[in-house]
Amino acid sequence: MRGIEFFRHVSIGRYLGGDGFVQRQRPTTKYLWLLALMVSGIASSSYLGAALPLAVALGLGAAAGIPPSFFLRGAKPLAPLLAFVCLLQLAFSWPGDATPVLLALGPFQATEREAWLAILTVVRTLSLMTVLGLFTAVTSEGESVHGLEDLLAPLKALGLRPQRLSLAVGVALRFVPILAGEMEAIAKAQASRGADFGTGRGGPISRARAYLPLFVPISVRALERAEALAEAMEARGYVEDGRTRLACYPKPRGEAASRIAAVVACAASFVADYSLRNR
Amino acid sequence: MSLTPPLVELDTASFSYPESTRPAVDCASLSIRGGEYLAVVGENGSGKSSLLRLMDALLLPDSGTVRVSSMPSSSPEGLRAARSLVSLVFQSPPDQIVSSTVEEDVAFGPENLGLPREEIRRRVGAALATVGLEGMERRATLFLSAGQQQRLAIAAALAVDARCIAFDEATAMLDPEAAEAVLDLMDALVASGKAVVHATHDMAEAARAARVIVLRAGAVAFDGSPAELFEGGETRLDALGPSLRLPPCARLASGLGLRPLASEGPEALAERLAVALGPRVATASEAQASTRRKSPIGVAQRVNAEVPPPPAFELRAASHAYLKGALGETPSLMEVDLEAPRGKVMALVGRTGSGKSTALQLLDGLVAVTGGEARAFGESLGDPRTDLRAMRVRAPLAMQRPESALFERYAADDVAFGPRNLGLKGAALVERVSRAMSEAGLPYDLFRDRRTRALSGGEKRRLALAGVIAMEGEALLLDEPTSALDPETKLSVMELVLGKGRRGSSVVMATHSMEEAAMADLVAVFDRGRIAAVADPETLFYDLYDPAWGIRRPFAVRVAIRLAELGFELAGPSGKRPLRVEELARAASRAPASGRGGEA
Repeated sequence: MRGIEFFRHVSIGRYLGGDGFVQRQRPTTKYLWLLALMVSGIASSSYLGAALPLAVALGLGAAAGIPPSFFLRGAKPLAPLLAFVCLLQLAFSWPGDATPVLLALGPFQATEREAWLAILTVVRTLSLMTVLGLFTAVTSEGESVHGLEDLLAPLKALGLRPQRLSLAVGVALRFVPILAGEMEAIAKAQASRGADFGTGRGGPISRARAYLPLFVPISVRALERAEALAEAMEARGYVEDGRTRLACYPKPRGEAASRIAAVVACAASFVADYSLRNR
Repeated sequence: MSLTPPLVELDTASFSYPESTRPAVDCASLSIRGGEYLAVVGENGSGKSSLLRLMDALLLPDSGTVRVSSMPSSSPEGLRAARSLVSLVFQSPPDQIVSSTVEEDVAFGPENLGLPREEIRRRVGAALATVGLEGMERRATLFLSAGQQQRLAIAAALAVDARCIAFDEATAMLDPEAAEAVLDLMDALVASGKAVVHATHDMAEAARAARVIVLRAGAVAFDGSPAELFEGGETRLDALGPSLRLPPCARLASGLGLRPLASEGPEALAERLAVALGPRVATASEAQASTRRKSPIGVAQRVNAEVPPPPAFELRAASHAYLKGALGETPSLMEVDLEAPRGKVMALVGRTGSGKSTALQLLDGLVAVTGGEARAFGESLGDPRTDLRAMRVRAPLAMQRPESALFERYAADDVAFGPRNLGLKGAALVERVSRAMSEAGLPYDLFRDRRTRALSGGEKRRLALAGVIAMEGEALLLDEPTSALDPETKLSVMELVLGKGRRGSSVVMATHSMEEAAMADLVAVFDRGRIAAVADPETLFYDLYDPAWGIRRPFAVRVAIRLAELGFELAGPSGKRPLRVEELARAASRAPASGRGGEA
């Protein structure tokens, strides 16, 4: 692809609106699903266990009217990083690895186990990105802040301030697409002064080097945007305590079933994991 | 007269930013009452933004006091009063949105006040209805246009029932139509009893207020009515600040020896001028004038008859969509045909989102066509064999707000980024950088070692433009190069652009200012992703103009058209109809002879 369009590959932090069955779930239920799918994606050591959250998230996405390509595109910017991690997996051997050698290049040997682990890394990353992308696509910032506040409300008894954490999480997620947009603008400005972006040329190292001059202005812009947001919130009289809420989240039909399904999905991945490991 | 205490009162208030040597606001005293309409003008860095932030208690004065509803803003109750009674609308639309849906964003303020849910719902509904955003409650704020985002910010101010709404150059980044909508809202707010404070560079906007304050180096240099301010003409304004200019109506009036009125429409001014020029002339010339306006076809042929030199840039049935093939795909250009001739300055005008920026980025190979073809200097930018980097270097593009991409610590290093990419070194590099910097109005010896971050807004813009000029390409692409600058800096940037054109460079620039577009050789009007018209500015603004484009004619053109209706056809010596205020003034000063002689 020639041309520069970073925003195209952002799947996290883009609230898409909509009013379907998935979107209508209460924020706490959405967090439960997020947690269930994240845990099963991270903790499982089998492909099935790691792929299950991916499949579930893609299915829920489809139910919410979001095509799978939306999520899978988001993984593209990570491709070089993933390739690097896979290379490390293949290059360094595990102690006591007795699986057959698939490929030998001088001192380096890629074994079957290493190959499977590399694939697992890719599947797991895809899973986690898709789950997070789905969550932010169907949860507005207010919902994500309110949901986390409600979940963490018991911590108030310990003298902690859940509002602060939930606001930080909400704002951080929202900044992903904002910074992608800023980065795109800056990359274009520099490309037009002869920097090498989006020309479809050059090796991975020269491509990576071209991103270095992006680093300073994007950091500065991130801080400026953060400062502007803080100022805008302050100007609107932001207070941590004593805030009321406009949003009310009516209990949708089948909420209990949805919450049980989240727990079951999580448990299922562990069961699958366990049974595969003990075969 | 009134015994009620002022809503906001500054009493010898001063404020300095920690790293700065001189105060941003210097011993300012003024008071604002409910229902008042106040404009704050002054050049970049004169303290307008800081003054507004003092009113809202986002900043607290180092000395002196700021009182809101009689309570000092430094006290807890004063702070609360300031935040709930005074609301700010900022310059950059996306920067002031705090939530991801329209409804959540408007509710944010009332939620902070701890209001009950039903009350918040009522206020959100009423506020959105006032600004014309009803029915968009669940819309994601990310997908609003800049004009909608500004109106959303006004709704947020209304929802907390602010009694004073302060606008910090809130129209500077909007297209003329959206800016007009915000200005109309300001009028409506004043009519409903709210106080409006409007910090602006634009004197025509300031003249809409009942009272104007001129800030100079943080101090109040003038406080009075716009009429009083404009009475003394340019000389009086020059004394108040080098970058202040009369609004077009007053400039024209004083150029013609008429008394400058504060906020006079082009029609009213034309009528006054007609009276000054002499008795109404015969209807023959009137009939002639109206037929001329009604038959643009003949004029269009005149444009086509000129054989243009081979083009610098071409779009052939070019289409583009953002997020092509992905969720949220947005078409931005639809089968556009456009030719930018070599050695000419072409202005692209039209609403925000009409496709100007996309067209510029297509011409620079920064985005790829999703249909049709884009060519630069005869080479197709979509051809995989074309060296895109080489093409970009031949026609560098200055993006919108190019200063946000500055990244080097020292000014000259940033300008050198491009030439270094071209392989320049040593003396040749220094010479290239120095030439570009002086062309941009930043003499190399004075500015090379200045820290980029410490430059003023106008200087940063010039530095960013110097970085693009230093490429010394055959052409220059500019996306709103003068946006959000003060009038003085705007003019100098335009002179730079026109100078490039005079020296043979091909220039394509997007702009929201029709006064600037009128200085170009050609103007292309974009309307919803298509080209609505391409012509020289005179033909375009006099004969082809269509209000549906969402742009306005230049002020001088509107005056001239009304004058023609009144029987005065004004034209320069070559028969060219006036486009700029100065041209109109010159033509009118000759008018008593030629105007009345026209019908003989």
